[in-house]
Amino acid sequence: MILVVAEHRDGKLNRATLETIAAAQHAGGPVKIAVLGAGVDAVAAEVARADAAEVITVDDAALKDYTADGFVMALEQLIAAEKPERVFLPHTYQARDFAPALAARINRPLVTDCVAVKDGAVKDGGYVRPMFQGKLQADIAIDGPHMATFQIGAYRADAMKAGTAPIRKAAIAIDASKIRQKPEAPFKEAKQAVDLSQAERIVSVGRGIKAQEHLQLAQQLAQAMGAEIAASRPICDAGWLPMDRQIGSSGQTVAPKLYVALGISGAIQHLVGMKGARTIVAINKDPEAPIFEIADYGIAGDLFEVVPAMIAELNK
Amino acid sequence: MAERETLEVDVLIVGGGPAGMSAALRLAQLQKEKGGEPLAIAVLEKAREAGAHMLSGAVLDPSTLKELIPDFKEKGAPLATEVHGDDIYYLTRTSKFRLPITPPFFQNHGNYLISLNKFVKWLGGLVEAEGIDVFTGFPATEVLFDGDTVAGVRTGDRGIDKHGQRKSTFEPGVDIRAKVTIFCDGVRGNLTKSLVRQLGLDDGKSPQAYAIGIKELWELPAGRVKAGRVVHTMGYPLRNEEFGGGFAYSLPDNILSLGFVTGLDYRDPMFDPHVSFQHFKRHPLIASMLEGGTLVRYGAKALPEGGWYTVPKLYASGAMIAGDAAGFMNSARLKGIHLAMRSGMLAAETSFEAVRAGDTSSTKLKAYEDRVSNSAIRKELYPVRNVHQAFGYGSFVGAMFTGLSMFTGGGWVKDPLPGHGGWTRIKKLTEYYADARPDPDSTVNPVKIDRQLTFDRLTGVHYSGTRHPEDQPSHLIVHDASVCATRCREEYGNPCIRFCPANVYEMVDDGAGKKKLQINASNCVHCKTCDIMDPYQIIDWVPPEGGGGPHYEGM
Repeated sequence: MILVVAEHRDGKLNRATLETIAAAQHAGGPVKIAVLGAGVDAVAAEVARADAAEVITVDDAALKDYTADGFVMALEQLIAAEKPERVFLPHTYQARDFAPALAARINRPLVTDCVAVKDGAVKDGGYVRPMFQGKLQADIAIDGPHMATFQIGAYRADAMKAGTAPIRKAAIAIDASKIRQKPEAPFKEAKQAVDLSQAERIVSVGRGIKAQEHLQLAQQLAQAMGAEIAASRPICDAGWLPMDRQIGSSGQTVAPKLYVALGISGAIQHLVGMKGARTIVAINKDPEAPIFEIADYGIAGDLFEVVPAMIAELNK
Repeated sequence: MAERETLEVDVLIVGGGPAGMSAALRLAQLQKEKGGEPLAIAVLEKAREAGAHMLSGAVLDPSTLKELIPDFKEKGAPLATEVHGDDIYYLTRTSKFRLPITPPFFQNHGNYLISLNKFVKWLGGLVEAEGIDVFTGFPATEVLFDGDTVAGVRTGDRGIDKHGQRKSTFEPGVDIRAKVTIFCDGVRGNLTKSLVRQLGLDDGKSPQAYAIGIKELWELPAGRVKAGRVVHTMGYPLRNEEFGGGFAYSLPDNILSLGFVTGLDYRDPMFDPHVSFQHFKRHPLIASMLEGGTLVRYGAKALPEGGWYTVPKLYASGAMIAGDAAGFMNSARLKGIHLAMRSGMLAAETSFEAVRAGDTSSTKLKAYEDRVSNSAIRKELYPVRNVHQAFGYGSFVGAMFTGLSMFTGGGWVKDPLPGHGGWTRIKKLTEYYADARPDPDSTVNPVKIDRQLTFDRLTGVHYSGTRHPEDQPSHLIVHDASVCATRCREEYGNPCIRFCPANVYEMVDDGAGKKKLQINASNCVHCKTCDIMDPYQIIDWVPPEGGGGPHYEGM
């Protein structure tokens, strides 16, 4: 049995949870989904729409705000009771915070940042994870019960098989006095920081946009598409867009359903940040630009002609 | 605010490369041999882990290794393979001529092909096993003095943002005070550079001459090359006026170590070492090796080519210089690792005696220079003392001289042959191109980037594994960036955008119809070429926040 640990904040499910459920379904065998928190019925109902054996909630006031101690305590008990052979988590900041502690506590190996579950004859678990900045992929074979985290975008949320899972409340008590962390109100380091990894559509601009005032054009397109705006490094370096909108090896890694690259040549540093996108549309003057090698749809043309036409069509 | 901490040691080794690690090991050995109160020893290394900034060909002459670690085989020295064959080719654009005989200094019988990264990582493990602290991720930024005596170094601050403001993670650097400091900070080491200038250690010496080596590792289809084969090339794509050549070393597991070295004393301001390397890869000799293979790693590093007459005074009160920092490289044999190791050992022996005697004055440490002069280092470097300078008269003259010098013992009518700072030879656009002045943003000898054999610089940076936290001050200090868009653009056409192999320097539109310099410091692979080659000598390479830089796994 595989136990997937869901992630949510303020009643909103993190999409990466659905991707991890998809990974678990792909791995095969019964899947159970754990939802931890206080007042989590809505989130539990949301994940119960997956094809899973059951959804187990741990609903406790002590889990209202995320703390590493609280989560480790709850999951340690839940795992002892349910005895899943594998525990899957999305490779989020939150999971990175507590998963190593949990693995140490329950004495299980932890395979992090997996991009795939390995098919075929691996006894207890086989995974693929990137090494050397994604240049190599390591096949990892694990004996015995273990834990694994999955990279955002490794599996598609919409590949998750739907179903109706029963919801059960686990009888787990949390000793709030043993939680050492005192969480404060969450804050974002930069004003208006955006989590582009959650965006379904992204319009991204590169050097081909030429001048800051032309960003408006990209913004209009983004608005017409209901997309977030993002950029390759030179644009953020020039200060035309804030750093938190940078996609690539020194920025964010994203996997939207649709990624529209405007005037982006496709340096490898950019590609590693967006190659997981489902559909990539590239518009670039240079037909030799490497972006076209990974684009699903490419327009070798002047973005200042193509984009206005796209906006006009979208606004029809 | 956090207080600056101080650490006191007896011997401080700055730079954990072959010289520094050998010095540390030799000190541990002496400690065991002589007994007595153990010395406090520390090794500082700017890379995240030992060996991560190491890049070399590399062919290892094992002579020093055999002395330092006689049981190196039992200890698992990562020597990839013995050399099984040497070929030298002279290349023209489309053809190759193999030299019928490989000259003696190019013969590599008994030598090993190694990854310097793996080798130094291994040495670092031995050093730590001796109980010596190797502080990785700690760059030294400043030499500490007590009067004229070197008293140690200060390491770099952490947690400073790009505007120079302290972040919440700020931690001041540490003062490491030592009775003796051995500077092994590599080619154009930032501390050796300031030490030499401050104390005039290069007075009466010929100026150092440098080259830049760009290297890639390739994984080739099985059976393409035979492990242990060494190929060197001369000629194309360089012209007679440019010094340098290519190498291709076949390692086990179908890995090819491929590189191209160019003298940093070229005349043509539009010359581009990175483009030359791409042309080299497209030559039929190399292209036929690479076809169907994949690029695995990329990197670049400067080399000290000047030889014996450019070695600075090696000691000062409280300080010694070893390895590439001192210029111990044999440019005729293209080897320096064994010399670096030996100089480290000799510096260790001198420092051990000096600390035990309670006298680390320059009079006492002069013993190091004497040791070097009586060692295999001088024996090897003195006969080739004029070789690189002879190449200053063109590759043809250089090659003739190298051959002749075997009979003259390296001497000539003029000895030393006059040297020059390499950067002084670069010509202005108008001098070199007269009326046919090229556009500074163009490439005069363009190469097709096909992303199969040839790649652009940015792609290279990716394969170098280079990482620097973005929010820190630029560690490339251009003292007067106004020169770039005006004088330099006019006079030299911004050669930095060409000699930098990592796309650190870019001339971008300033939004007002002109160009301005943009420094992409986080791309820097720490090769030091800009510090060496900039025609106005206004670029200073200083270490970035600790741990930043390339990750030369397997290089």
